[in-house]
Amino acid sequence: MTTEKKINYRRREKLKDFLCVLPAVIFFALFVYYPILKLFQISFTNWNLISDTYKYVGLKNFKWLFQGSGFASLINSLTITFRYTFWEIVITIAGGLLLAALFNRESKVFSALRSIVFMPRYIAISASAIVFMWILNDQYGILNYVLGVIGLKPIMFNTEENALTAVLILTCWRVIGYGMMIYLSAMKGISPEYYEAAKLDGANSFQRFRFITLPLLSPTTLFLFVTTFIASMKVFQSIDVMTSGGPYGATEVIVYWIYELAFVDFRVDRAAAVTLVFFVILMGFTAATMKFTERNIYYES
Amino acid sequence: MLKQKEISNIKAIRTRHMLTFFQYLFAIVFTLIIVFPFYWMIITSLKTSEELLRPVPTLWPLKFQWNNYVDVFKMAPLGQYILNTIIMTIGVMTLQIIIGSFAAYGFSKGKFPGRDILFIVVLGALMVPIQVTFVPIYVMIAKLKWINTFAGLIVPNAVSAYTIFMLRQTFKSVDDAFIEAAQLEGLGRIDIIFRILIPLCKPTMLTVTIITFIDSWNAYFWPKIATTTPLRRTIALGVYELKRSYAGLETMNQNQIMAGAVITIVPIIILFILLQKYILTGFSKVASK
Repeated sequence: MTTEKKINYRRREKLKDFLCVLPAVIFFALFVYYPILKLFQISFTNWNLISDTYKYVGLKNFKWLFQGSGFASLINSLTITFRYTFWEIVITIAGGLLLAALFNRESKVFSALRSIVFMPRYIAISASAIVFMWILNDQYGILNYVLGVIGLKPIMFNTEENALTAVLILTCWRVIGYGMMIYLSAMKGISPEYYEAAKLDGANSFQRFRFITLPLLSPTTLFLFVTTFIASMKVFQSIDVMTSGGPYGATEVIVYWIYELAFVDFRVDRAAAVTLVFFVILMGFTAATMKFTERNIYYES
Repeated sequence: MLKQKEISNIKAIRTRHMLTFFQYLFAIVFTLIIVFPFYWMIITSLKTSEELLRPVPTLWPLKFQWNNYVDVFKMAPLGQYILNTIIMTIGVMTLQIIIGSFAAYGFSKGKFPGRDILFIVVLGALMVPIQVTFVPIYVMIAKLKWINTFAGLIVPNAVSAYTIFMLRQTFKSVDDAFIEAAQLEGLGRIDIIFRILIPLCKPTMLTVTIITFIDSWNAYFWPKIATTTPLRRTIALGVYELKRSYAGLETMNQNQIMAGAVITIVPIIILFILLQKYILTGFSKVASK
């Protein structure tokens, strides 16, 4: 082979390698990056989904959102979303850790029990939500029947105060086993030498958990915190099925609000503006955790 | 002296037995609580309407009404929903695996300028969920007249950054010597990917395929945006529409609604039981990242 041919050959090989990734890159350009740019564009128009034409109106939609009638709705939906997120994180981390301690035993029975506790994560939320609504039904629900038997007052879940709790009960059922599995797999990775050394030093089992297991699990806790935060900010399906954002907006989380703006009110322009705020929150959170991780988390080296 | 030691030993063994007993007890009770909604779904789906309205709920159907599973198909085109879901799931799975494998090859074994920057572009997509992009994507799909079509359901999910990331990690772990040997044999990239890399990375491939299958089967958000009629509705979405179709009469028809829910979740439960090994390994891989 002459040098020229060799160079040509190499060039062709590089091109072929590039062609392998090209479909994926084009896809992400079209279905991830272009839509983000499009969001900016739409948010500066007065576009109504039913009409084909629109005008550029500058910052009008952002003025509506931050200074106009949209502001109260924004604060309402952010408050609800953060409240939901807070509880989903608490359930995943605290509940997951407690369950990990309880289910941490090597036996066939326990491994089967763990699988069962973990399974709800893979069940369609809509189908699960339907059965939870029946369990929590005011009149015929078995939960209120049991509460009545033990002498407690029935709980009305379709009220403004309790609707989010109903959604969180479903969430708890879905995610607690996930937290458990993540913690258990991290606990398996901790070298038994630490525990033996601590035992020799006379540490009891609580102290071993407090001073060895917990600190060594801190990267796992951070992982759960970050992933759960992002996942729970996107909550939609359980809200859609169980409450439709109601009653009176009591469960109108941010994605549900965006959905309603775009597909019920047909105000895509406003929906785009709210989406951008939502996106900024997600990005800001990701950037903040990345910065935080660099300093504060103890990694086993 | 000796006796005292023996007594304290016996005591220690006893407390350990007690602890084990309570660990089993609490773990089993907790598991039963988790199982209860599944149980309740199945039991409710077999009750008669009169039994649903009793003031005291029955834990076991007085009379098994298997017909609920027949009647529910008259209320909603569940067969169509299931067929739609199967077609969408197969489409999404196939495209994600094929396009993902090529991309993973390029990002792990390929050599071309700008590779790492493009990989960051792909990883960046992980941070942009569909909940952020759905309005513009809806607009695109509507312009293409893809609402209520399989193209509209499948194409926006045809590539997954998560799949590419997972496959790249495993492809990277394959020794370059295999690739070089194959190249000397005159094998092209397609052969290298499908006859060497994929067979060598079977466990990860299986995990990724199963997770994609489950996600696709349960898909709700995008199908809700991309379909407006029952024509192309998927089952997870359809089961909620089924409930809504009883508007006002939901309580006495809970048996049929639950039958629909059981039909929705049974395939996934079977899959989970049969293939949980792969689901769990993929899962610990993610957790250790």
